[in-house]
Amino acid sequence: MARRWRPELGLAVVVLVLGVLVVAGTLDVSAAASQLGLGPRFFPMLVGGAMVLIGICYVADVLRGGRADPEESEDVDADAPTDWRSVGLVSGIFLAFAALLNVLGWIIGASLLFFGLSVALGAAHKGRAALIAVVVGVVTYALFVKGLGVTLPGGPLEGVI
Amino acid sequence: MSSWQLLLDGFAAALTPVNLLYALIGVTLGTLVGVLPGIGPAMTVALLLPVTFTVPSTSAFIMFAGIYYGGMYGGSTTSILLNTPGESSSMITALEGNKMARRGRAAQALATAAIGSFVAGTIATALLVVAAPAVVSFAIAFGPADYFALAILAFTAVSSVLSRSVVRGLASLGLGLVIGLVGIDQQTGQARLTLGIPQLLDGIDVVIVAVGLFALGECLYVASRLRHVPPEIVPVGRAWMGRSDWRRSWAPWLRGTALGFPFGALPGGGAEIPTFLSYAAEKRLARGVAREEYGKGAIEGVAGPEAANNASAAGTLVPLLTLGLPTSATAAILLAAFQQYGLQPGPQLFEHNPALVWGMIASLFIGNAMLLVLNLPMAPLWARILRIPRPYLYAGIVVFAALGVYALNATVVDLFVLYILGLLGFAMRRFGLPVAPAVIGMILGPMAEIQLRRALAIGAGDPTVLVSSPISIVLLLLAALALLTPVLKKLTTRRHPQE
Repeated sequence: MARRWRPELGLAVVVLVLGVLVVAGTLDVSAAASQLGLGPRFFPMLVGGAMVLIGICYVADVLRGGRADPEESEDVDADAPTDWRSVGLVSGIFLAFAALLNVLGWIIGASLLFFGLSVALGAAHKGRAALIAVVVGVVTYALFVKGLGVTLPGGPLEGVI
Repeated sequence: MSSWQLLLDGFAAALTPVNLLYALIGVTLGTLVGVLPGIGPAMTVALLLPVTFTVPSTSAFIMFAGIYYGGMYGGSTTSILLNTPGESSSMITALEGNKMARRGRAAQALATAAIGSFVAGTIATALLVVAAPAVVSFAIAFGPADYFALAILAFTAVSSVLSRSVVRGLASLGLGLVIGLVGIDQQTGQARLTLGIPQLLDGIDVVIVAVGLFALGECLYVASRLRHVPPEIVPVGRAWMGRSDWRRSWAPWLRGTALGFPFGALPGGGAEIPTFLSYAAEKRLARGVAREEYGKGAIEGVAGPEAANNASAAGTLVPLLTLGLPTSATAAILLAAFQQYGLQPGPQLFEHNPALVWGMIASLFIGNAMLLVLNLPMAPLWARILRIPRPYLYAGIVVFAALGVYALNATVVDLFVLYILGLLGFAMRRFGLPVAPAVIGMILGPMAEIQLRRALAIGAGDPTVLVSSPISIVLLLLAALALLTPVLKKLTTRRHPQE
């Protein structure tokens, strides 16, 4: 069976497991269904049951070699092999940004996020990328916090701007 | 009051300087995101939801409608000037449009797309004015069981039509339904699937889902297989067309409109099928020069599908406004926007908020005219935007995605949820699962549940109440048909080659 392993099987199994989890996860929702009609468990059971069924069909379809076409997009080379290094880099940069946002504040955090991602995606000039990154960080902060009243963390630059 | 009078009142509301400004912002933003790869109108409206909380509802919806229509215009510019298919709704335009552009007729291709979009958008909006009150007077008699059947039809239709593989469409729908389940049950106050995380009690916000699946998912997907050779952009001047182009375009525009509007209004109809049908129809009707040019860049093959594309956008608004039924991802996000303002589209919306509904419809006429002006003389400017280096474009999209999601509740927990949904969006693209069923399932799922429970409560738990009205029976039969047709087709085609 090992040679039959395909990455899509992972997603199909996720669908199946999620169905089981929905059914299992709502078992402890004690139904306050004293009133006429159905409690809060009925619909999740329906969805969970359907997910299990769909998941089984999906797994079976993948095992039998079924496939759909990867989505086409302007900037995507559909024939290229998956570049896991780039996906990992983008993921790492984004997660680091999320973890450090409250410490760094929006301006520094968003600038680093923009710079990191553009370099990871192959920006030609690092200096230009850094410059644009700072502009993006400052302008979004000014526009959304000062202009539109959105709450963004100030970080160490709080009070400076 | 007649709908004519209501529409005039709508124009009065939409023609105030402030609302004209919102319409202009909307159509400009819409064209921009339509032109730019990687983002579309659905994601843009989702990102704007947290920021527009303070904007009055009428103005906000005038802007959102502008974004929706603008996205349709912008998408055609990309598919004509770039040699790669972009959004699925403008994929057909690329077939003839890009070939025209390569033969030095980019200006005419852009012109017939823009003018055709204007003609189709205006006629289709007029049809919306006529159709909406008719559907409302019909839908006023709908009971909970009918609404439940309608939701089931939307679910099955969108899952089976949008993907070549029904099981993948249904998997996408199921993922959306599960996301929609998370949080407190609206009727009993019970927490469901929250995994004990208090931030999940309010459910997963539609903004995070839309931005995760569309923006972050797209960026991860692009990162995984970025085209390192930049796409070739055909240079273009001012969009214009000559007398013979007009003569060859007007009939395809009208035929495209006639195909696009009804398909847009149907669950699962969307823009893909009518644009394809229009392309095929024009090909069959082509005579003389057109027949020779077809496949090498015939203007008919741009005019028809582009008109169909825009007409379907107006058609989508019929079930959305009159029944609260979204038939595309963008419509689902618009529905979420209504809910954010505490409004529920449906017959009651027309009764209680005529100013909002008719102001929005009137602004569609105004926005269409603005878009014509924006797209004909300014085509070279939009073409320049296509040259933005991709690393900066996608880095910028992620920054705005993070901003929009953080702005919701000012918590980083949302950013981690966003990342998980981004991974899901990446996997769905990679394996060819359509995203629209997930978005529709997430937004329509909770409403389907309420209607189901209401219906069963009325029937005192007797499940036959679900098939007690002729409307619900017809709708459920159609739903079954939508699901079974591809399966049956597959079975018959598989059997024949073997024999």
